[in-house]
Parts: sequence; C-alpha cells; structure tokens
Amino acid sequence: MRLLNEAQFRRIIADVFGPDIIVGGRFDPLVRSGGLLAVGAGKTSITGSSLERFDILARSIAGQVVAPVRRDWLIPCKPADATMADPECARAYFKSTGRLLYRRALTSEELETQVQIAGDAATNLNDFYGGLSASLAAMLTAPEFLFIVDTTEPDPNNPGQVRLTAEAMASRLSFFLWNTTPDDTLLTAAERGELHTTDGLKRQADRMMTSARFETGIRAFFDDMLAFDSFDTFEKDGLIYPAFSLAAANDAREQTLRTLVDLLLVKNRDYREIFTSRETFVSGALGLVYRVPVADPESWSRYMFPPDDERVGIQSQASLVALRSHPGRSSATLRGKAVREILMCQKVPDPPPNVDFTLVSDSANPIYKTARQRLGAHSTEPSCAGCHKLMDPIGLTFETLDGGAQFRTLENGEPIDTSGELDGIKFADAAGLGQALYQNPAVPSCVLNRLYNYATGRESNLGERDWLIEQEKQFADSGYKIPALVRRIVLSDAMYAITPADTQLSGQPGTREENPS
Amino acid sequence: MIRSRSLVTAATGLALGLSAPAMAASKTLGFVVPSWETATYETKYYDECPDGLAIGNDELWWKGLSQRDKDVLTNGGEMEPVDPPRRPMAVLRGPKKEDVCWNPEIVVDPPQRIVKGKFGYGMNLDGTTDGAATPKSCKHEKFVTPDGSTYVDNQMYRLVGCIYGWRKGNYVEAHADRERRDSSVGIILIEVTGVDDEQNDPEVEVSFHATRDVLYKDINGAILPYATFRVSETQHYGATAKGRIVDGKIVTDPADIRLPLYGHQMTGDMYIKDLRLDLPVQGPADDGPHLGMIAGYYDFDSWWDYTRRLESLLVTGQWSCPAMYVAAKQLADGYPDPETGECTAISTAMNIQVLPAFVVHPDRETADAGSAAQ
Repeated sequence: MRLLNEAQFRRIIADVFGPDIIVGGRFDPLVRSGGLLAVGAGKTSITGSSLERFDILARSIAGQVVAPVRRDWLIPCKPADATMADPECARAYFKSTGRLLYRRALTSEELETQVQIAGDAATNLNDFYGGLSASLAAMLTAPEFLFIVDTTEPDPNNPGQVRLTAEAMASRLSFFLWNTTPDDTLLTAAERGELHTTDGLKRQADRMMTSARFETGIRAFFDDMLAFDSFDTFEKDGLIYPAFSLAAANDAREQTLRTLVDLLLVKNRDYREIFTSRETFVSGALGLVYRVPVADPESWSRYMFPPDDERVGIQSQASLVALRSHPGRSSATLRGKAVREILMCQKVPDPPPNVDFTLVSDSANPIYKTARQRLGAHSTEPSCAGCHKLMDPIGLTFETLDGGAQFRTLENGEPIDTSGELDGIKFADAAGLGQALYQNPAVPSCVLNRLYNYATGRESNLGERDWLIEQEKQFADSGYKIPALVRRIVLSDAMYAITPADTQLSGQPGTREENPS
Repeated sequence: MIRSRSLVTAATGLALGLSAPAMAASKTLGFVVPSWETATYETKYYDECPDGLAIGNDELWWKGLSQRDKDVLTNGGEMEPVDPPRRPMAVLRGPKKEDVCWNPEIVVDPPQRIVKGKFGYGMNLDGTTDGAATPKSCKHEKFVTPDGSTYVDNQMYRLVGCIYGWRKGNYVEAHADRERRDSSVGIILIEVTGVDDEQNDPEVEVSFHATRDVLYKDINGAILPYATFRVSETQHYGATAKGRIVDGKIVTDPADIRLPLYGHQMTGDMYIKDLRLDLPVQGPADDGPHLGMIAGYYDFDSWWDYTRRLESLLVTGQWSCPAMYVAAKQLADGYPDPETGECTAISTAMNIQVLPAFVVHPDRETADAGSAAQ
C-alpha cells in the first residue's frame, strides 16, 4: 500500500476532472527509502493534520467539479430536480467516476454508501449538486483513493497462493508507466481478465508505452531517482550567484528531465550516454547561467555543448552541480556523494557527529585557496579520510563549475585542478568522469534496480537477486535501452509478484482486503 | 567567469548543425544597450550656463494669464494652482489656446538659455577644429573635451544642457532610462560580425537592432550579462556600419542608423545620420557594463517628433517648447538643406552602457551569437 505523492494526486485530478481544476495547498513531504520516494511512500502514514489538509483539498476539488461551469460535462446525468436528492443520477455518477478514483469498480456497498451520503447532504442542503460534492469529497479522502492498494486474490494457477488482482496490476502498470490512475481502457482490460494473460498484458503495455503519457511516467521516475525533490527546498545566495534565479532553478530540473526524455525515449540511446552526451536543452534563464545563446529565450531550445566545453553529461548540469552545492559555495563532497548515491546506488556513510567543517567551509582561506587544498587538509583526519576518498575524487572534477553552475578556471586566483578518479579509473576533467561513469558497471545496474523498485514500490529482496542479475545481462545485451528495459519489467512476473512481507490473501469474493505494509 | 567568444560561437554552430571550422573563420560579438543618456559636461555651479537655467513653460504660461484667470486658478490668491487644470492648460498658450508643443511657432517665447561653456563630450563629426561650415555641416561652435585633446560636436548638449529636467540624473532622461530597464522596451542591440582579432581587426561589420525580449536582472535589479535577445523582426531597424577594432575598441565609419526609442511611455525613433560607435570590446572584470559612446547627427524631424510629445514633463523639466524648437533650429549643424542652407540635423553624443549578450536572428537558420571575453 503506497500513499499517492503530490504529482500523482494532481495528475489524477487533472485526468479525471480536467486540467483546469485548481489543486491548491501543499502536501507533506514523503520519506525517501532505498533511494526512492516511491518506496518511501509505502512506509508513510497520514497524520491527523495531513488528513485535515486532504479534507480541505477534497472539498475544494469537489466544489469545482460540481460548479455550474463544469457540471454539464463532468456529470453524465441531470437530476430530476436540482434542489433534491436524485439517487439514480448520483449512482450513475459514482459508478463511473468512483471507478477511476478507486482504480477499480466500486463494490455495491461502496456505491450505495456514496449515493447515501450524496442523498443525505442534498436533502439537508436542498441542492443535488451540493450533495454530490459532499460525497465526492468523502471519496477523495478515502484510503481507497489516497493509497495505491495491492489487493490480492487466490491464484487459480497456483492453489493455495495468491496473486495481485487484475485491478491492482492495472494500478501498478499505470503508476509506473504514466504516474497516474489507470484509464478506462486499462481498467476494462483488467475487468475482463486480460492482464492475467500474456497477450493481454502485452497489448496494454505496448499501448501505454506508445502513449504520450509514457514520457510523463519516465520523467516521474527520473525526478524521483535523481532526488529532484531537493529542489523544493533549494536556495542560492543571489548576491554570490546573481544569474542563478528561481527561474534558473526550476529550469535546471526541467533541463535534465528533457535531456533524459530526449536521449532515452525519443532517441532510444544507450542509458550510459547520458553521462557522455553534450546534447541538451536550454531556456533563457539557463542560457544566462551557462552563458550560451538560446534560439528562443521564451521557450526551450536544443543545444549542444562544444567538444572542449566542461559541460558533458547530465552530471555537469545545474541540476547536479548547483543542487549539490551549498547556497554560497560549491561542494565537491556533496557532488561526489550524489554521484555515488544517486547515479551508482552506493551508500556513503554519514559524517561522524564531531567533525569540524571549519576549514572546508572557509572558501576564502588565504592558505588553502582551492577546494582541493581545503579538502586535502580536512581529509588528513582519519575519521574523515575514508569517506572523502569515495566522494572527493569525483566531486573535485566539477570544481570548474561553481556553486551557481557557472564556469570558472580559478578559485581565489588559484588555477583549478579538475583531475579525479572513480573506482580506479583516473581522468583529467569532466569528460573523463563521464567516460568513467559510462564504463562503470554500477551505473546501469543502479538504474535497473531503481526502475524495478520504483515499479513495485518496494526494495527488491534477496530472492529477486538472480532475476535482477539476468535483467542486467539483458539490459546490456539490448544496448542499455531504457524502453526495452521498462518493457521487460512490466511484462515480467516479478513486477506483479507478491512477496511474503506484504502479502495477505483477500477475503471472500465481493469483499476486498488491503495488504498491510 | 571566463569564456572565450570562439567557444561560444562554435557552440552555437554545433547546436545548429553547422561545422565548427566554418564558424571558426570569424566571430560574432553581441551587446545589449539597456542604458544611454546625452553626453553632457556639467559643473557644480552651472558655469556652462552663465545665463542661468532655461525658463520653464509654467513661468511663461503664468505670466501670460489675465488676472481674472489667475484669480480663478488660485481662488482669489488663496491657493496654488492645482495640477489637474494646470498641467493640461499650461501648454495651451497659443492665441486660440493651441498647444504650443505641437505648434511651436505659434508664439514667440524668450530665447532658450543654452550652454556657453568651452568643454563638452562627443566626437568630431565634421572633422574641423573651428566649426566652420563644410558641405555636410553648418557653421557652429565646437566644444573641446575636458582633457583638451579633441574638438567635438555636440549641439544637442548645447541645447539641453541648461534645462533643469535634462541635466544629469534629472527626470527627463533618468526616468526614461529606468522605464526602459523596467519594461525592456526600446532596448538596442549591437552586433559585431566578422571579428578575427578582438584587439585589432581592420574590418568588421556593426549592426544596430531592436529586440522585444526582456532584460534579465539579478536580485538587486542589475541587468545580467550573457542573456539571449532575438532581433526584432521588423525591417525598420538593423542598419549596418563598416567598422574596425583598434586597440580593443570597436569604432565604426559614419552610417545612417535608425535606433528604437522609448521613454515616458512613448515610442519613437532616433534617426541618427553619420552615426559612429566607440565601444571597448572588453568590459570590467566584475561583469559590469562596458561604457561606450554613440555620436552623430540626430535628424531634426525624428528628434522633434518625440520631444514635442514630452509636454507632460514641462512642469517637472522646466523648458518651453517654442523656445527649444527655435534654439534647436538655430543650433542644428548637420546636413544643410540644399535649397535653404538650413541644417536639418543636430550633432549629438550619447554615453551608452552595454553588456555582453547573445544576439540571435529568428528569421535565419543560423543564430549568430557572441559575447565579449573577459
């Protein structure tokens, strides 16, 4: 069971009720687990205050849905009398809309409950639409809506075991590929049992992967994998980095996502090329940061950095070098840590609590003028050296890009040395780092594991190790193509497998029980 | 920040599918001009204005009123005339209440007080040291630069230098400048193509464009360098001049150039004949603006078309349209009319502040771009 994240909530509302519905307010941050918010969402509960905010939000959305300007096309029937309850019309509405919100057909009890709420409220308010709104608001705060529930059923092919229901499979597919609720076609396929057949599953997977919404799903995955939620609390000192505006920060996130979609989906390139490619997109605000021309400063333009430029690969984009810096100075350590943890899925231990960061943060130190010199002095302390060896030889390569992602050759008048090393491969500059990442087996392995965990909403377990090793091989054989990898995952049994830790058999037919997490 | 122009130009070419060697043959420099003002030489005690500051329209209007009108406007002398009737009424000084800014010859005001000092800034447009008439200029007085090195022509300074509102930092030019920076309207682009050597290049081409793109600013409101600006699609602007780079300065041969003009919520043109540019390629190390100069003969009709519409500023700026018009006609020193001999343009010089920028042409397949190395 996973809590919807903010992006999913907003997308569902837009998909079901239209993009003009205003979804105001803020959502509680999710917990990152195993490198993914999607996994952390399975370990999150809703607090009282959070539920209160969901309730306010639900009432606002429901009010907009039944507003006179929308009711004629969002509500498929008209009440006999708008000042009274109309169970028949309410039933028709909740049967269709409820199916999209709960991602399955409502049980008869659930449907009648919604009709009852709508009727009671309509009678009290003398307003059919007011009643409908109250009932819809209740649906939007129901656990069945707010949580993606992995419902199970007895597996007819394996007596005594359980499997995901077809509707739960549909949700898993849809949130993975589209980051939203299943559409009517997918739910219909689920209701017909097609998702439990190889051909039926393929048909839906292929349909969904050729849809424009697939890009949304891939963007959501990389936004999560690259921990771009850090942008939500991101700050830069405008006096030190005048070009790094709020617009530039927003565009930095978008730049990387556009680059990934272009390279991996549109051009179907080798995943590892994201670290060596100079192709990207720039906006007017980013043009200022990178100091490059932009064909259309009011929009996004394709751009290719020249061969001798320091900027190569997504790791040199502002979404890493500026995001993984301090507000007023760069950070070789944070950048190196990000490469290890985010791009290579390696855990770097947290610093011990008694570390003295004074020297490292003294970027105006008259003796240790460059970050390399300061970190070198800092890392002479044994308690620091071990971890810094993992991070700094990577991060120091980015030092020609300051904390605001602008190019420089000097720090405090001292030339910047960009040489570095990654797992035994030495390099001279950012291009060399890109090549080292390209060649490092941890890199494709990382994205495979993250994709799989993102799809299932949980961390893989030991029992899945052999399957993942086989997938790594196939990923390599396919030329590290992400769409092919995604397709293999969605067509695999593994994606829908029930693990002992989160399995519970559903009850009798007609009732549904949720898997505890 | 250090980034060479060659890098930038090559990057642009690659982005657009051009071959790097072809692009490497020459470079393009781009600049945006968010700020400019008339080049004036001012002293603390108005030495350059021995007759004092120009008489304002208000004073002339008030003196021309009947006692009855004055009593109506002051409630029998008990109050100052309030703005709403005063501002629109004060310019209606013609015999039949005509607007004297739109009909500057309909009344005769006392002559405008003008600059009579020796020093001034600008360029030597007519090539003389004494201001004697030439085929392209009328006889006039020259200024000499304060360091005594150059005789220059800047009759526009002579005209406006003793007007309160036109003096440095005052409302007329300073406010228009703020408006341009705030609104991004009336922004001038300078594009230098064919640059082979940023220090000394005997042949470059300099274009002057308009843009409708916005100026990017930092948190203090300072305009940021290296933004991209698209050349406005109108054919009205974009004239070019032959030029060269001499000891790190871009200088151009005279060329007739039309520049966009915006200020006080009014648009217009600055049509400047024989315009020359003097601009350092390199800016200061702190990414601040480069300081340069544009000088030439401001076409009288183009100038007056805009200036007469500044009548709402007469109260703040303190000048008289009829007196200014007459003085400007008398001071005009360029482009004598072949029939009347009367000059039709007035020498001017403007201090400009520019920032390196990328200038792109949406109507071309290639985007020419450049910036100054630092």
